[in-house]
Amino acid sequence: MKERIIFGYDPFVIPFTLGVIFILLYLGTGTVRILLNLKREEALNLLSSIFSVKLFKTFKDILFNVLLHIKIFKRNILLGYMHASIAFGWFMLIFIGHIEVILYTPQRNGVIYYPVFFRYFVMETSQTLRGAFFFFLMDLFLLIVLSGVALAIYKRFRSVRLGMKRTTRLKTGDKIALWSLWMIFPLRLLAESFTADISGGSFLTSTINNLLGEFAESTLYMDTIWWAYSCALALFLFALPFSRYMHIPTEILLIFLRNAGIKSTSSRDGFAESEIYSCSSCGICIDACPMSVSGNKSEYTSVYLLRKLRRRRQDSLFMAEQCLMCGKCVELCPVEIDSCRLKLLKKRENFPNKIFDYDYLGKREPVVESRANLEKKSKVLYYAGCMTHLTPQIYKSLFNIMDRAKIEYSFMDRDGSICCGRPLILSGGENTAKDLVEANSKIILSSNADILLLSCPICFKVFNENYNLNGVKVMHHSQYINLLIKEEKIKLKKGDFSVVYHDPCDLGRGSLVYTEPREVISAVAILKDSSNLPNESICCGGSLASRRFTQSERDSVTLHSLEKLNVNNPQKLVTSCPLCLKSFAKLNKRETLDIAQLVENQMI
Amino acid sequence: MVDFGFKLSSSNRIDLDSCDSDLFLKLKAESGTIKQCIACGSCASSCSAANFTGVNFRKTILLIERGKNEEAKELIKGCMLCGKCTLVCPRGINTREIILSINQYYKKERF
Amino acid sequence: MEGDVLIIGGGPAGMETASRISDFKRNVILVEKERELGGHILKWDRLFPDGILASDITKDLKASLGNTKVILGSYLASIEKRDDYHFVAQLSSGEIIRCSSVVLATGFKLFPAQKKQEYGYGLYDRVITNEDLETRFKKSEGLGKEAPKRVGFVHCVGSRDEKICNKQCSKLCCITAVKQAIELKQLYPDAEIFCFYMDLRMYGRGYEDLYLEAQSKYGIRFIRGRVSEISQDQSGLVIVKAEDTLASRPLKITLDWVILMAGIISERENDYLTQQLSLQLGEDGFINSLDPIIKTDQTNIPGVFVTGSATGPKTLPEVLSEARSTALTVNEYLNKIKNG
Repeated sequence: MKERIIFGYDPFVIPFTLGVIFILLYLGTGTVRILLNLKREEALNLLSSIFSVKLFKTFKDILFNVLLHIKIFKRNILLGYMHASIAFGWFMLIFIGHIEVILYTPQRNGVIYYPVFFRYFVMETSQTLRGAFFFFLMDLFLLIVLSGVALAIYKRFRSVRLGMKRTTRLKTGDKIALWSLWMIFPLRLLAESFTADISGGSFLTSTINNLLGEFAESTLYMDTIWWAYSCALALFLFALPFSRYMHIPTEILLIFLRNAGIKSTSSRDGFAESEIYSCSSCGICIDACPMSVSGNKSEYTSVYLLRKLRRRRQDSLFMAEQCLMCGKCVELCPVEIDSCRLKLLKKRENFPNKIFDYDYLGKREPVVESRANLEKKSKVLYYAGCMTHLTPQIYKSLFNIMDRAKIEYSFMDRDGSICCGRPLILSGGENTAKDLVEANSKIILSSNADILLLSCPICFKVFNENYNLNGVKVMHHSQYINLLIKEEKIKLKKGDFSVVYHDPCDLGRGSLVYTEPREVISAVAILKDSSNLPNESICCGGSLASRRFTQSERDSVTLHSLEKLNVNNPQKLVTSCPLCLKSFAKLNKRETLDIAQLVENQMI
Repeated sequence: MVDFGFKLSSSNRIDLDSCDSDLFLKLKAESGTIKQCIACGSCASSCSAANFTGVNFRKTILLIERGKNEEAKELIKGCMLCGKCTLVCPRGINTREIILSINQYYKKERF
Repeated sequence: MEGDVLIIGGGPAGMETASRISDFKRNVILVEKERELGGHILKWDRLFPDGILASDITKDLKASLGNTKVILGSYLASIEKRDDYHFVAQLSSGEIIRCSSVVLATGFKLFPAQKKQEYGYGLYDRVITNEDLETRFKKSEGLGKEAPKRVGFVHCVGSRDEKICNKQCSKLCCITAVKQAIELKQLYPDAEIFCFYMDLRMYGRGYEDLYLEAQSKYGIRFIRGRVSEISQDQSGLVIVKAEDTLASRPLKITLDWVILMAGIISERENDYLTQQLSLQLGEDGFINSLDPIIKTDQTNIPGVFVTGSATGPKTLPEVLSEARSTALTVNEYLNKIKNG
């Protein structure tokens, strides 16, 4: 292959080159800024993860998530293909372009624009097999990318066919980047077709070259198209920092940081910045969010919040306070952005810390009442928590079960609870909640119990994550009942009625307890599935994390969740959370009961 | 008539003519549910903090309505934000939101 | 079967309407789903405010039915309006009824108190409803042989409560609570009786007097504050948590028995009937009259009338007055259609 243009330069490369320089500077400063914001320990972790076996995992993650978008394929094959074809296809075009330069025009190695505009600058004087393989690959990948672009255009009109009921609204910066991105590849196709008879081409470009006939001869048209191609690229690169496509480079940095175990510690800077810019505004979180059921509330979904955080908008706090913190958007996010954590940090940064005052707790003497012999170590300490006091049937059934199994237990907050602290933490008051944590820990540790038994997933999560209980085992009552069944301490008969189980947000996604409640239910009834997978269960609407949700809005979330739960026509609905029980029992026409009640009814 | 010049000023009376409605108006504008209170006392009855200290949400709303904002803020500062009051309110008042709004009003952070 | 009027529901409203229409020498059919006429007052012992026996009223109502055709133990499976002057209904027994007009006297339902989970009805033996207590009075059981030391009445259970989707006031429970409190005090003079209320609605004639009597003669204590939780102590006694709003502090008391004043709600099981007749229901589920002041017994469908508690909570004298006026309205209507 020979060079057609002696110096390997033509003015049309200027726009593109400027664009690349701009973006490289931008990315460079951004990366340095993010890295500078890391704490010393985090920076050390990052270095050690790069110079270790973890590097392979990072590369694998980059391949699977940034290029192949495996997670999106799992949601919908067409949607996954659309993202993967553009990402992987374009990556391969750049990669193979560079290989072409290395092999055929090594003297131009290192020239930024050369691989991109390769087919303008080279010339095939005779038909050889030399470039043919690569030309074929390039045309193939170009076709793949074009098919992806076609799907993307189609998605703007009929997103339902790609599995998305709602798509993100675009801002101006997004629109400019989007249109220039869509134009790049058709323009590339056209440009490479124009030079296909000179530089060589394959099935796609040569065919179009033939179709173009006389037009392809004209240098005026050819140069114009290549100018257009370069300008489209430049426009895209200049618009990139102001659009959602920043996710392309940022996600790579994100994967490196995440695999080093780094988590966000501020709602905007450091690791958070890499998360925020990694959001591709794909919009999968909009359909996932339970709030988008009630009309205009889809404005508060994670994608729009991340946009507000990126632009450092004041009203991002207001949006963060709406969130139910159910975690579904985090579960489904293909980039695994922990937007719930960012919201929590935002709330924490704005919490009126000095005003709440829990000194009065220190004055309370821990009194633990026990049904058993006070000299013996009480094996199980039961903490009802604030919510279970409003649904006493849960602990009454649980006590009946434990009595039958001859377990010794104490009721820690029979006369009223000191709140476990999680609602306060969810409002951003993690510092203030330390007083509550201390007060409760004192009581628990002085009781000498082996197991702290909880019937509320909210308590369960906070006792696991924010308390240091010196080896006391924290168990949710569904887990404990499962243990009793396995140890054959209670005998059950299996009923012939059907039941559907709702995974509470804080027990399922929040604590990864999915199987034990299902094992318990399968032992006593016929378990039917809801329309959603366990990790995609829909919030009951009762969440305390949302500060501004009104009762009627919560009711519409509850009704939506019920609709999905009752899709297979179960006779009863079983929950393992007092808040879910209250929310569902209010509106469900079928019998709604707690898992402890279900088991108590089936005890022999 | 002679203008005597002396007067006993009433200090124990709630004078609705001159009470500081600033906080009350703000809370009404924010979510509006504070207007619906019938002072039934369910909130104060189920309150986790009320077992140990004087926290009383029903009284807080009353104090704000009568313009005694500082007292209201002092009364509510022991609140653990546990949410039981929100769950039992028969009028569907968003109690935790109001408590956080009151505290943010005093932090003057952002209302 | 053919008739001029089909009356659905054999409670006081249905019976009185039937009696008065049959006075006009009309052909009246009365359908009642239970095996006995009387509706809810069959369960009541004595009526407020003067303590008249409910069974006397039931006896009088049954006696004046005249030539009414009474069908017991059957409910309406379906009903349809055919052209302007004709209704066809099918009973659960299979029987077909044709009539020129329909009167809905389907009444009300009491709030199922177990839905208010924090009060523990169905969980604790010592927590019963107003209906349970009334039944006990009727059977002369009271609250058992062992005289209770302390009894509490909880007002507004299932009423005025957005959390169980019933925003309306049930009108009758306050006066019933005062009446039942007095009756308990008469049975157990040494017991301490408490009433936990949000508001005391003593609107009728003689009601305020009864309230005064409850306080001065019987020493019943009224505590203004809504109960938030009821739990049980180890000996089976019930612990009630409320706020003493007048003292501005939370309050706790251990009682022997708690009586929940279950409210009056609409019977949603009858929604299929109102749907088939295209009637309009309010947000609370009760049937809407054509007009709330003048045309209270007419509905939006000509020929379909409504009377009694089917349009909302009412006292017994109000129900009976309305039933008589409905009889007049129906008679006028029948005259109008007979004359074209």
